[in-house]
Amino acid sequence: MMLAPDADAIIIGAGPAGMSAAIELASSGCRVIVLDMQPSPGGQVYRSLDENMQARPQTDDLLSALGPAYSAGLPLIARFRATPGIEYRPSTTVWDLRADGTVGWLDGEAAGYLRAPHVILACGAMERPTPFPGWTLPGVMTAGAVQTLLKAGRLKPAGRIVLAGTGPLIVLLADQLRRLGVRPALIARTDRLKDKFTALKTLHPTGVPALLKGLGWLARLRLAGVPMQTGISGLEAHGRGRLTSVRMIAAGRTIEIACDLLVVHDGIVPSTDLAHAAGLALEWLKDDASWRPRTTLDGRAEMAPGPALTMGPCRIRITGDARRIGGADAAVAHGRHAAGAILAELGHAAGKPAAGLTGIDVQRALATRPFLDAAFPPGLAAQLPDDAAIVCRCEEITAGALRAMIQDGTSDMNLIRGTLRCGMGACQGRSCAATLARFLMEADPDRPQPPSPFRARPPVRPLPLGALANMTGLDPELAQIESLDDKPEAIIENDTHA
Amino acid sequence: MFKPVGSAEATMTIYLDGRAIPARAGETIAACLLRAGVTHFRTTPVSGAKRLPYCMIGHCFDCLIEIDGIGSRQACLNAVEIGMRLRTQDGPASIPGLDV
Repeated sequence: MMLAPDADAIIIGAGPAGMSAAIELASSGCRVIVLDMQPSPGGQVYRSLDENMQARPQTDDLLSALGPAYSAGLPLIARFRATPGIEYRPSTTVWDLRADGTVGWLDGEAAGYLRAPHVILACGAMERPTPFPGWTLPGVMTAGAVQTLLKAGRLKPAGRIVLAGTGPLIVLLADQLRRLGVRPALIARTDRLKDKFTALKTLHPTGVPALLKGLGWLARLRLAGVPMQTGISGLEAHGRGRLTSVRMIAAGRTIEIACDLLVVHDGIVPSTDLAHAAGLALEWLKDDASWRPRTTLDGRAEMAPGPALTMGPCRIRITGDARRIGGADAAVAHGRHAAGAILAELGHAAGKPAAGLTGIDVQRALATRPFLDAAFPPGLAAQLPDDAAIVCRCEEITAGALRAMIQDGTSDMNLIRGTLRCGMGACQGRSCAATLARFLMEADPDRPQPPSPFRARPPVRPLPLGALANMTGLDPELAQIESLDDKPEAIIENDTHA
Repeated sequence: MFKPVGSAEATMTIYLDGRAIPARAGETIAACLLRAGVTHFRTTPVSGAKRLPYCMIGHCFDCLIEIDGIGSRQACLNAVEIGMRLRTQDGPASIPGLDV
C-alpha cells in the first residue's frame, strides 16, 4: 500500500528527454516533480546554456565555438521553465529508486523520499569505460569532461593536447577547439576508413545531414592542419604523478608524443546505475561492451527476475539516452512518447497526438543510430587491457588481479567485489563493472546468463548522516522512531550513557 | 592545462589549503581549481596516487576533495561559494577528532 503521492509523476533528469516529458505531462494538467543533479536544466548536451546566453556578450566566442547544435536547446529550456505544473528541483541527487515509484533525493543537507504513481528515469548516458595503462594519471580526461569544462567552466584546454578514441563526439570536440584557436598535437582515432564503408550499408536517409555535418568537421580540421591518425591501438599514458606522454601503435609502429592533456572518448553508453538499483532488468550488449535497460518502445521497464525490494507493478519508464543512445533529438521525441503513454493511462490523452505518431517520431530519430554504431565501433574498449592496467579506478585493482581470480574459477561479479574490492570504492562500480563483465564473458562466452552489474543497495550516491537523520517523507510503516521510552530498562539512575 | 575562454570574470575568492583562488559565481569547484592550475585534488587511499577530475559529470568520483571540513565530496557537482575552504584530501577522508 502506497502513501499519498507527492505528484502525478516524478522525472529524474532535466536533460532533453526529461524536459520534454515534463512539458508534455504538465501541459496536460499533471503535477510533475523534476529532480536534476545540475544547477540548471539542459542535461550534459545543453549544459549551462541558459547562463551562457545571459552572460553575452562575454560568452559570444564560446557560444559561436559550441555552434548551433548547442544553442538549439534554448527553446526547450525556455518552455520547460515556463510551463506551469512543473516543480523543478535542481542540484538534487537521487540516491534511491524503487519500482513502486519511491524516489530518495538529496539537496545539500536535506534529504527525503518522494512518491508518485509514475516515475520517468531520464538520467542520460556516461562514457564507455575504457581502461588502458595510465588512464588514472592527472591529465587524462574524457571528451565529455572537456566539453563540460567548456560549457559550464568556460575553460579551454591549453598546452600539448592529444585526442584519442572514436565516435562523433571526438571529432565535434576537435572542431569546437579549432574554433577557439586550440590546435591538438594529434587526433588518434581507433576507427578506420573501412568501418565507414561497412557503415554506409546501414545509412538511413534521415542520417545524411548528420553524415555531411561530420564530413564538414573533418574537412575543416584537415584544412587547419590538425594531424589525424586512424586505426590506432595499444594506447598508453605515461608520466610520474602527471601525464607527460602518450604512446600508441599507429600503422604498425609505436609512436610516442609528449603531451599535457590526453582526451579520451570511446562512445557513450546508457547510465544504468539507478535502473539497476531499482531492480529493473538490464540486457548485456556484447558488441557494445555495455548494459542497457530492457524496455518497451514507450519506455516501460520490467523487473529483473528474482526477489524484489518492492511489491506490485513496476511504475518506472526509462527515456532518452538512459534507454537507448540516440542523442538530443531522439531524447526529446522519446520523452514525449513516454509521457504520452502515461497520459493515455491516466485518461488525459484527449487532443494529444496518437501514440502511433509519437512512436514514429522516435523510430525516425533513432534511425541514424545503426550507421553511427557501425562507423564508430568501440575502439579503446575493443580489447581487454593488459594485466598491469588498473580497471577499478577507486580501489586500484588491476586487470591482472581480476584475470587471476577468474582463472581460479570465480564467475560471480559480487564475489569478486567482496574478495578483491573491485567496485567497492567511492564510485560504487560505475567505472569498472562493465569491464569486469567483459572479463567474465571472455573467460566463459557460453555462460548461461551474461553478468549483471554489482548488486546495488541504497544509498547509491553519498548521503550525509545529518541528512539521513532528518529525512522527510519516510513511510511510517517502514520507519520506526526509537526513543528512550521504548527501552525503559535502559534507563539507569546516574548512567549518562543510557 | 586549461585557460579561460575570454576573461575569467572572477568575482569571489575561495581557498585551497589556505591559498586564495579567484572564482566565478556559478562555476563548479572542479572548473575553478583546474583553471588555477591545481595539480591534484586528492591522493588515493590505496597507493597515494595523485588524481584530478576524469569525467566531470559525477560518475567517476575522482574529483573528491574536502569542502568546508567535510571530506570526499565531489568537486565537479558542487558550486563555488564565497570564502569556501577546501583542502587537498590525502588518502581516505578524515573526521575531525576521530581516529578512523
